[in-house]
Amino acid sequence: MARDNAKAMDRRKFFGAVGGASSVAVAAAVSPLTATVAQAYDPGAEESKSRYRETEHVKTFYRTNGYETVRK
Amino acid sequence: MARMKFLCDADRCIECNACVTACKNEHEVPWGINRRRVVTLNDGKPGERSISMACMHCTDAPCAAVCPVNCFYTTADAVVLHSKDLCIGCGYCFYACPFGAPQYPRVGNFGSRGKMDKCTYCAGGPEADLSTAEYEKYGSNRLAEGKLPLCAEMCSTKSLLAGDGDVIAQIYKERVVRRGYGSGAWGWKTAYRETVAI
Repeated sequence: MARDNAKAMDRRKFFGAVGGASSVAVAAAVSPLTATVAQAYDPGAEESKSRYRETEHVKTFYRTNGYETVRK
Repeated sequence: MARMKFLCDADRCIECNACVTACKNEHEVPWGINRRRVVTLNDGKPGERSISMACMHCTDAPCAAVCPVNCFYTTADAVVLHSKDLCIGCGYCFYACPFGAPQYPRVGNFGSRGKMDKCTYCAGGPEADLSTAEYEKYGSNRLAEGKLPLCAEMCSTKSLLAGDGDVIAQIYKERVVRRGYGSGAWGWKTAYRETVAI
């Protein structure tokens, strides 16, 4: 019985040691101190470039919404 | 560089909801989402006013300020867009927006609302211009086609103006000089933080 207890203790010590070591490793891996700094979303120059062009279509919109047509 | 803006001339809006319908049809907006809505104040009473509302593409957008995943960006045309690939549907932007612009495809709690959807000023999203992927997520990209938002283009009473802020401000000013000052350029001060000197 005493021998069984000793065995059990050994096993506990073993798992304690393994668990302790692995938890330290996990903590180091997920620690905010070691994590990379969050980056704001940068869509890039192509996605955020200007798409507006004053085409004939757009000019017609401006003309018909103003009083230009009333004056003529 | 031209700055894109919306201006609703509330003296002219007749609450026909054509802008709402045009938007839904043009972008095949999912069921339950309205990127644009017409709000009527003092309904049925003297001084009733209707205002067509959507995302006002704010200068200092509060939705972008509160987004935990930074999915918003502002284009060179001053149009506020977002990436649906990054959006987690948390709903913070909905609470931050003074115009109630952000919409969600489903009803639910944090994360189960689905990706946020809002007016793109008919300018698509971060995907390649006029691509199928862009259309499926954000709708059509009329700005890339050399056009303006359809809601404004098909407004029958010319109430809803869109385009270069300087040009539409001039159009509105011209109207005010001719007919007198009425409802004001609703939402401009809130969205663009500019002094409307009319």
